[in-house]
Amino acid sequence: MLDNVIQNITEIKSSDELLKTVEGLKSDGYRYSTMICLKADEGHELIYIFEKDNKLKNLRYFVKPGEKPKSMSGIYLCALLIENEYQDLFGLTFEGLAIDYKGHLYLTPNSPKAPLA
Amino acid sequence: MTTIIPFGPQHPVLPEPVSLKLEIDNDVVVGVLPSLGYVHRGLETFINTKDFNQTTYVCERICGICSALHGITYTRAVEKLFDTEIPERAQYIRVIVGELNRLHSHLLWLGLFADGFGFESLFYECWKYREEVLDVAERICGNRVIHSISKVGGVTKDLTKEHIDMLLKMCDSLEPEIKNVEKVFVNNYTVKQRLVGLATMSKQVAYEAGTAGPTLRGSGNAIDVRETADWDIYKDLGFKTAVEKDGDCYARTKVRITELLNSLTIIRNAISKMPDGEIETRIKGFPTGEAIMRTEQPRGEVVYYVKGNGTKKLERLKVRTPTFANIPSLLLMLPGVKLADVPIVVLTIDPCVSCTER
Repeated sequence: MLDNVIQNITEIKSSDELLKTVEGLKSDGYRYSTMICLKADEGHELIYIFEKDNKLKNLRYFVKPGEKPKSMSGIYLCALLIENEYQDLFGLTFEGLAIDYKGHLYLTPNSPKAPLA
Repeated sequence: MTTIIPFGPQHPVLPEPVSLKLEIDNDVVVGVLPSLGYVHRGLETFINTKDFNQTTYVCERICGICSALHGITYTRAVEKLFDTEIPERAQYIRVIVGELNRLHSHLLWLGLFADGFGFESLFYECWKYREEVLDVAERICGNRVIHSISKVGGVTKDLTKEHIDMLLKMCDSLEPEIKNVEKVFVNNYTVKQRLVGLATMSKQVAYEAGTAGPTLRGSGNAIDVRETADWDIYKDLGFKTAVEKDGDCYARTKVRITELLNSLTIIRNAISKMPDGEIETRIKGFPTGEAIMRTEQPRGEVVYYVKGNGTKKLERLKVRTPTFANIPSLLLMLPGVKLADVPIVVLTIDPCVSCTER
């Protein structure tokens, strides 16, 4: 049961450390499952979920206000959809997105801006 | 010179609206750009108006086809926050209804797929068999597609002897029918001509693209969340991961047909091992903390994240659905495919746009 509980989580301190850790996970054979975005006191919390042999590995990264987190889509192409989702819903900007919908994956120009932020 | 052709959002083979901008060179796809948002309902925000029990019913409405498994996954995630084990009988009932979900979803897909490549009578056959599953689900749960079987702490309805007899009768009747359609899908010359070697995705590419479900298993990856420790109950039910190694449209079809027969075995075994007893554990208080739960839906692995803050409403609900995970694989599968084959390739991931956009 513990493998799925979010208590087993690695805290990441910087965007560069995040990229390096994710590259390491890819070379270890982990597949990208998804990412979760949460509002934090003054910024956002990102939880990255990876899976290998039916076990999960979770990373938690705190995005400071105004910071542009680096995109994972250069390492795992499939990260592009979820990162675009959070650009729409939380108003984040991911640097280096493989396909950048610029906040219009789901939302139209007349939609509310960043409705979950 | 290339041309951009829109595929969807309204297209004869698509049951739901998804749009693909296809870059075509001499009738062959060379690039794809998916476009989403036509049925986005903001359900992850909507739960802010509901308590954690009512949220079960919101989750079930994410998708009309795998509704029961959405409800089951959500309730299992919240039960994890309460650190509660539900009665064993309730777990078996969830498994049985979950497999009914898989049966009717795969039969629906096989029908749509047959229609997609122009085999109308096969479409009718598959949907006729699906009706048998829906009839049983309706008798057990009260509804055909929104089953509402799961609640936080257990299940809403018990299985009576009459229900069990109906389930066993359905299994006996469906098995030869599925084997009949299997013969057509697997052996028919025309079907094979359309599917074999089409949109092949290697084992490694499918794995790295985060693909889920039959699309992943059709490429030789034996990954099925039903095997994890969280679904202990499956280990005693004769569960065997269906896997094909060729990675083409034909392989993905064969995986789904094998899974239909597996589901019948699982239902039969679950009925024979299901203990008597309670179907619900009473839960007190409000959820606190955060948890992840994964379940194998017909289209693949669904991931639920829940965060409670000690109030009756959840602070955050996040759902990663299987089609969301499978859309990037279209970016990798479609280049090199002829324009006429695009509908078949799109259908082989069994796209569910309501799930994807939530």
